[in-house]
Amino acid sequence: MLNLDVNGRRVTVPKASTLLSAIRAAGFDVPTLCHHEAVEPYGACRLCVVEVRERGRSKTRVVTACNYPARAGLQVETESEAVLETRREVLDLLLARCPGSEVIRGLAAEAGLHRSSFPPDRNRDDCILCGLCVRICEKLGFSAIGMAGRGAHREVAAPLKEAPPDCVGCGSCARVCPTDNISLVDRDGMRSIWGRDFELVRCASCGRAYITREYQASRVEGSGLPAEHFELCDECSRARLAKTMFAHMALGPDAREEASDD
Amino acid sequence: MTKLLTVSPARCIGCRTCEVACAFRHLEDGVPGRSRVQVRAVGRDVWVPLLCLQCEEAACVKACPVFALWRSSTTGAIDVQPERCVRCNACVPACPFGNMSVESADKAVIKCDVCGGDPACARFCPTRALEYIEV
Repeated sequence: MLNLDVNGRRVTVPKASTLLSAIRAAGFDVPTLCHHEAVEPYGACRLCVVEVRERGRSKTRVVTACNYPARAGLQVETESEAVLETRREVLDLLLARCPGSEVIRGLAAEAGLHRSSFPPDRNRDDCILCGLCVRICEKLGFSAIGMAGRGAHREVAAPLKEAPPDCVGCGSCARVCPTDNISLVDRDGMRSIWGRDFELVRCASCGRAYITREYQASRVEGSGLPAEHFELCDECSRARLAKTMFAHMALGPDAREEASDD
Repeated sequence: MTKLLTVSPARCIGCRTCEVACAFRHLEDGVPGRSRVQVRAVGRDVWVPLLCLQCEEAACVKACPVFALWRSSTTGAIDVQPERCVRCNACVPACPFGNMSVESADKAVIKCDVCGGDPACARFCPTRALEYIEV
């Protein structure tokens, strides 16, 4: 364990903690877009900037909290002038990149920015290149998408910019994307994502579609659970549980029969 | 000393107070559809409140590819770690009792966490159909 000060408040965190977790343990917060506990810190969005002063030093530095190690005696400021200035600058750039993103606009407005001081890029989508989708996909073991291109041409893409053969259509990338930039459409029992169409498994009882065949097969294999576990939707599983509980309740044999007839 | 959230369907009158109590306790917005306890009608005038059974060998825990679900050492309930959840939703169909839900504002799955040891549903249940008792 080690001690450090966040906005003047003493906090004790385990060794090998990040500054971000120390800040949160102290009861403060900083905005993040690319951070996710399931994957390693990445430091891409730069919104979690904080000002730190190492023990015995007089100079301070502005660092990203998500991938900076918490060290004993560190003094951290999350709302200092340097922090707010840097964060506003980052948001100014993000706002120019994706002027249409509601999340970015909201964060910018909180920082007092209502329009970017840079010329806005109207032809781009809302991707901020944080790579969270890529990292989550890799974590799940599929690595269906990756980063392509360099500099201004950098983008998230599937290999050769074709429909990704390793994608199972789980949809995690779309749901974790901080700017909701990845299109996932479920319609008529099909899921469209990354230019691919997946057949959705239909609930054996009600016919509702809820998971792709590929992701179902992957989770059956990965979890060791019998395949039957994925054959009913949550609604129908719940109805089955209700019936089972009802049948076992002390209501007499008539009621039990009624329950099993449904 | 273990405490369990028990369900006695014979005492349930279908008032759905538990759903509202749960929805408000979890700060979602009080929408009963986002409650972690769901009252279902079985046959005529018979109601069963349904919530997570906190299984010994839980299918949700096995189905999760990123270990975002684990058993709390304080309550014994299986807790979702929303900051770890990657929203793949594998646990939703995997639960044989349908007690995982995706009806949350941040798309993370939600489930009963016995309110950290003071379940609102049991506290507000007027007929003790839901009870949090020592076993």
